Amino acid sequence: MSTLTKVPAVDENVAVKLPEQTLRKWLRDMLLIREFEARSMQAYQNRKIGGFCHIYIGQEAVAVGVIAALNDDDPLITAYRDHGHALARGMDPRHCLAEMFGRIGGCAKGKGGSMHMFDKAHHMYGGHGIVAAQCPLAAGLAFATKYEDEVINGGTSGRVTACFLGDGALNQGAFHEAMNLAGVLDLPVLYICENNGYAMGTAISRATTMGHEITAKAAAYGMEGVTINGMDVITVYNRMKPLVARCRESSRPIFVEIRTYRYKGHSMSDPRKYRTKDEEQRYEALDPIDKLAEHLKAEHGMGPDEYEALAKDVRLQVRDAGKWADASPVPDASELYTDVYADEWGPYLGTTPPPMLGEGPGPGPTKPPQPA
Amino acid sequence: MSIEITMPRLSDTMETGSILKWNVGEGDSVSAGDAVADIETDKATMEMQVYDDGTIARILVPEGQTVEVGTPIAVLAEKDEDPREIAAASAPPLEPAPAAQEPAPAAQEAPAAAPAVPAPDPTASAPTPATAAPVPAAGAERLRISPVARRLADEHGIDVSLLQGSGPGGRIIKRDVMGALEAGRETAAALVPSAAAVAVPTTPVELSPAAAVPPAGVRLEPGLVPLSNARQTIARRLVESKTTIPHYQVTVTFNVDPLLDLRRVLNEQLAAQGVKLSLNDFLIRGCALAIHQHPEFNASWAGESIEIHGEVNIGIAVALPPERGGGLVVATIRQADRRGLREISAEAKHLAQKARTRGLTIDEMAGSTFTISNLGMFGVDHFTAIINPPNSAILAVGAAQELAVVRDGQIVIGHEMSATLSLDHRIIDGATAAQFLVSLRQLVENPATLLV
Amino acid sequence: MARIIEFRDALREAMSEEMRRDPRVFLMGEEVAEYDGAYKVSRGMLDEFGPRRVIDTPISETAFAGLGIGAAMMGLRPVIEFMSWSFSLVAADQILNNAPKMLYMSGGQFGCPIVFRGNDGAGGQLGSTHSWCVESLYANVPGLKMAIPFDAYDAKGLLKTAIRDDSPVFFLESERLLSIKGEVPEEEFVVAFGEALVRRPGTGCTVVSFGRPLYFCLEAATILAEEGIDCEVIDGRTIRPLDLAAIVRSVRKTNYCVVVDQSWPFASVGAEIAAQVHKACFDDLDNHVVRVHSDDVPAPYSYDLEQQMLPNTRKICEAVRSVTYNA
Repeated sequence: MSTLTKVPAVDENVAVKLPEQTLRKWLRDMLLIREFEARSMQAYQNRKIGGFCHIYIGQEAVAVGVIAALNDDDPLITAYRDHGHALARGMDPRHCLAEMFGRIGGCAKGKGGSMHMFDKAHHMYGGHGIVAAQCPLAAGLAFATKYEDEVINGGTSGRVTACFLGDGALNQGAFHEAMNLAGVLDLPVLYICENNGYAMGTAISRATTMGHEITAKAAAYGMEGVTINGMDVITVYNRMKPLVARCRESSRPIFVEIRTYRYKGHSMSDPRKYRTKDEEQRYEALDPIDKLAEHLKAEHGMGPDEYEALAKDVRLQVRDAGKWADASPVPDASELYTDVYADEWGPYLGTTPPPMLGEGPGPGPTKPPQPA
Repeated sequence: MSIEITMPRLSDTMETGSILKWNVGEGDSVSAGDAVADIETDKATMEMQVYDDGTIARILVPEGQTVEVGTPIAVLAEKDEDPREIAAASAPPLEPAPAAQEPAPAAQEAPAAAPAVPAPDPTASAPTPATAAPVPAAGAERLRISPVARRLADEHGIDVSLLQGSGPGGRIIKRDVMGALEAGRETAAALVPSAAAVAVPTTPVELSPAAAVPPAGVRLEPGLVPLSNARQTIARRLVESKTTIPHYQVTVTFNVDPLLDLRRVLNEQLAAQGVKLSLNDFLIRGCALAIHQHPEFNASWAGESIEIHGEVNIGIAVALPPERGGGLVVATIRQADRRGLREISAEAKHLAQKARTRGLTIDEMAGSTFTISNLGMFGVDHFTAIINPPNSAILAVGAAQELAVVRDGQIVIGHEMSATLSLDHRIIDGATAAQFLVSLRQLVENPATLLV
Repeated sequence: MARIIEFRDALREAMSEEMRRDPRVFLMGEEVAEYDGAYKVSRGMLDEFGPRRVIDTPISETAFAGLGIGAAMMGLRPVIEFMSWSFSLVAADQILNNAPKMLYMSGGQFGCPIVFRGNDGAGGQLGSTHSWCVESLYANVPGLKMAIPFDAYDAKGLLKTAIRDDSPVFFLESERLLSIKGEVPEEEFVVAFGEALVRRPGTGCTVVSFGRPLYFCLEAATILAEEGIDCEVIDGRTIRPLDLAAIVRSVRKTNYCVVVDQSWPFASVGAEIAAQVHKACFDDLDNHVVRVHSDDVPAPYSYDLEQQMLPNTRKICEAVRSVTYNA
C-alpha cells in the first residue's frame, strides 16, 4: 500500500501569471512525452526495442516543470527513466527512438539504449542504469561548472546541476555520499527526488526510513529540503524557480522532493501487482496533462479543436520519429571497437561523435590550454 | 487503414502468450490506453492495451489459445472505417486447434555418409612403417618434443627420432638438438676423409684402392655407450627377424665384365648430362625385373597365406654416419620395375644423400618389398644379410673383383661379383631361389636387357 | 640534468607540472591537502595550488570517485587518489561501470580523461583487506588503461602520460617503493604507454613483470647468473596497453619465459600474458610459460608468512631453473 495516502493538494500559489505561449509549450511538451512513451511501449511489445524500457507516463509535469526553471546550459543528469527528461530538454525524438531501436542515428549510436540518453548540445549527461550512480556524477558536474567558472575563468559560479533520482535511490550509499560531499564542498547541485512511492515493486514505506518525510534526509546533510506536488506543472515550475535561483546564487546544494506517480509499471515486464486499481485510478484522475489542458481551456480560452490539433501534431511527430528511427541503419560492425578508448591502439579505433551531433560536438566544456 | 493488433511482447523473455480473457468483443469501440485483454506470459498475467482509438472489427485468436509473439490476434477499424467491411476483408479466425504449428519435420537428412575410409589396398606396398628400421615400432610412445626443438631440428636436418630427450617424460628439448648438432660438427671435423674404411658409402662401386692404416688410440676407453631410440629399435627388429624367420642362403657369382663395360660406355656418353650410374643401380633394376618372373620374391608371410604385392619396391640399405647416429636405414625405390636406369640412379643417389643429412621421411623408408644390401664399396667378397621384414628375401652384394677366371675354357682376367640371397624358407624354397638367381644372372650378364 | 629524488617526489613533480601546465587538472582524495598526503606524496601541493585544486575529501570513495568522473565528463582532468587501491573496491561501481564505459555508452559524446592513483599491493603486514593487488581484477575491463611504475623515473614519466591521456587510467603505485631513490631528469619528459623496457638484458630466460616484483626479479637474476643462467628481465610498464611485441622479441631469443605477477594466480594478468606468449611464441618455446604469483590465499599479517606469500626472489629463482630444465 502506498504511503502517499495523503494526496497533495493542488498548490494555489500561482503567484506568477505565466504567458499562454509558455503554457501551450508545456502542454505540447507533456503531450509529446506521453505519446512518445506510449509508442515506446508499443515498439517494445513489437520487439523493436530490446532489454529494459522504463516509462515516464504520469510524471511528465516533473521533467517539464523543472527543466523550464533551469537555464539551457545548466547540466542535467538523471537515472534510467530518462526519456521524459531527454525530450523536455529538447532532444529530438528521432534520435531518442533510434537509440532505443539500436540504430546509428541514435544519440549514442545505438550503443547505449533506452537508459542512456546523452546529448552534449543540450547539456544532457544521461541516462544511467545503476540506481543512484548518477548522484556522485552530478556532484562532479556541479564541481566542474563551478571550477570552470571560478578557478579557470576567475568569475563566479553561474550554473546549477539538476540531478533527478527516484525514491529507490534514497537507500543507496552513493546517494548519501554524494549528498554529504556536495554539502561539504558547497556544490551547486539540486538533488531532485521524483518520489512516485515505489522503488520497482517495493513501496517506500517498506524500504525507506523516514519515507513519509524524506526531506529529513536533507536536514541530515545540512541542506534545505523542500516538498513539491508533482502532478501540476505550474506548481512544479513556480516552486522550483526560487530554489534554482537560490542554488545558483549561494552555490549550495538543495534537496527537492517532488511527489508524483507513474501510471505504468516500473518497466515493461511489471504487472503492477503491488498497487491497487483504486490507487491507480485516483492518480489517473490527477493526470497533469488533463490538469494543464483544463487550465488552458478555463483561463486562456483554448478550445477542444486546438487541443486535438496539438495532440494530433504530437502524434504525427512521434510517428515520423518512429519511421525515421526505423530507417536509420544498424551500426557497422566497426562500431564495436570505436569509443572504447579516446585514442587508436591495438584493435581499438578511437572515437567519433554520433551522427546526431551533426558537424560538430556543439558547445563543449573548457578548451584545452594554449601551449605556454 | 485498419490496424492489426498482434500478440505483444510483454516481458523481455516472452516468446508465446495465451489469451486468458478478451475484455472486448467484435463491434466494441475502444480508446487508446484501454486494456482489451488479459494475456498470460512466461512470467505473469498482464493486461494488453490498445494504442489507438477505433472499433474491434475482428477477433482472430479466441480465448484459451497460445500464439507466438507477433501473431495477429485482432483487427481494429479506425474511426472512419466500417468495421464489418474490415472484418470481411481480414483473415478468418484461427481454428481452435492447438496454435502450435505441425511439429517441425523430425526427419533429418540421413547423416552424410561418413567420409569413405580408403579400403586398405591389398596390393599396396608393404604397409607398416615398421619396415623402415629407425622408426619406432608400433606400440612405442609418441615422440615428445618442445616446439623450438622441433623447429631447430627441422632447420638443421637432424632426425629427431634418433635423439634422446632429456626433458621430463623423455621430452626432446633444445639442448638435445643443439647437442646433436654440436656433436655432428665435431665428428665431421674429426673424420679423416678417405676412400677407406669409415668413409661414407655409395661412391660408385670401384675396387677400393689400397686402404690407409686406420688411426688407433693409445688405449681403449671402457664405458657405457647409450643407444639412441633408433639403434634400440634396429636391434630389436633384427633379433625379431633372425629369430622368427627361417633364414637360409643361396650364393651366386656373376660375370660382371659386360656390365662394367656397359656402365663405362653409358657413363661416358651421359657424363655431360650429369648421369653417373653405379653397379648397384643396375642390380636394382635387375632384381626388379627378375621379381616379375618370380613373384614369391615380392611377397610377405601372412600366417595362413602368402601376400603377393603388386608394386615392386626395392629397398636399398644406406649406412648412416656416426653424427647421424650410425646404424642403417632402408630407402625405398618405388616401382623399380617401371623406371629406367637413369631414374633409379638419380633416386638412389638422392635418397642416400638425404638419409645421411636431413634424414628420410616415413614414406621414403616404408613399403619396400625386396631389399638389396651392398658392401662392395668396402671390398667385401661376400656376406649374408638379415631379411628386412616383411620382405621374403634380401640380396647381399659384394665387390666386383678382378680375378683369374675361366672363360670359354681359358683362364683370363675378368671381373666377378658375388651375391648372396637370404630367404624366408616359409615362402621361398631352394629351387625357386635358384631359379630366381638364374633369371637375375641372365639379366646381369646380358646387361643390355636391363635397358629395356 | 638528472638528480636523485624519491619515487614519491617524482609522483608529486608529475602532478605539479601537469597542474601548472593545464588548469583543468586537479588533485582530490583523502588527506591529500592539509595532511600533505597520507604517504607524503602530495606534500607542499596545497601551498602551491590552493584548496580549490588540491582538495581533501571525506572518507567517501564512491562519492569522490564519481565526482571525478562527472567532472571528467565535463572536460576537467581530475587526479583522484585512493589512499590504497584496496579502498577502490568501495567505489567499484563508479570506477568500473562509469569511467571506462562513459565514452561508449554516450556514443562518443562524453569521455573520461581521469587518473585514479594510489598504493597497490602488499604494503608490509597491513593485513588482507589492505593488501590488495587490483591489477588482475581491473585489467579485465575494456576502456581503461593501467600503468605500474618501477622506479622514480617511470613514476614521473608514466604519471604525466596518464594525466595527458584522454582515457581513464588506473595508476598503480607501491607503498614499498615510495622511498626508493632514482635519477630523474629536470627537463620535461614523458614515458609513453605500451612500451616495455628491458631492465636487464640476457639470453638465457625471459622474465616479465611489473612494479615492485621487478626488484625481486633482478635479485633473482643476479643469483641465477652465478649458476650460468642469464636472465633477461623485462619491465612491462603498462598492462593496458600491453607491449607484447617486446616480450615476444625476447622469448624468440631465449626460448624460455617466466611471468611474475604479484596478484593471485587465478584469472590473472600473469595468466593473460602466459596465454598471449604461448600463442605468439608457440614455435619458440622450449617449455611452457611458468608463472610466479602471490600464493592463492588472503594476505596474512605475520611477517614471515607474508614474505612467503609474495612472489619473492626464491620463487622466481625456482621458476627460472624449472623452466630452463635446470631444477
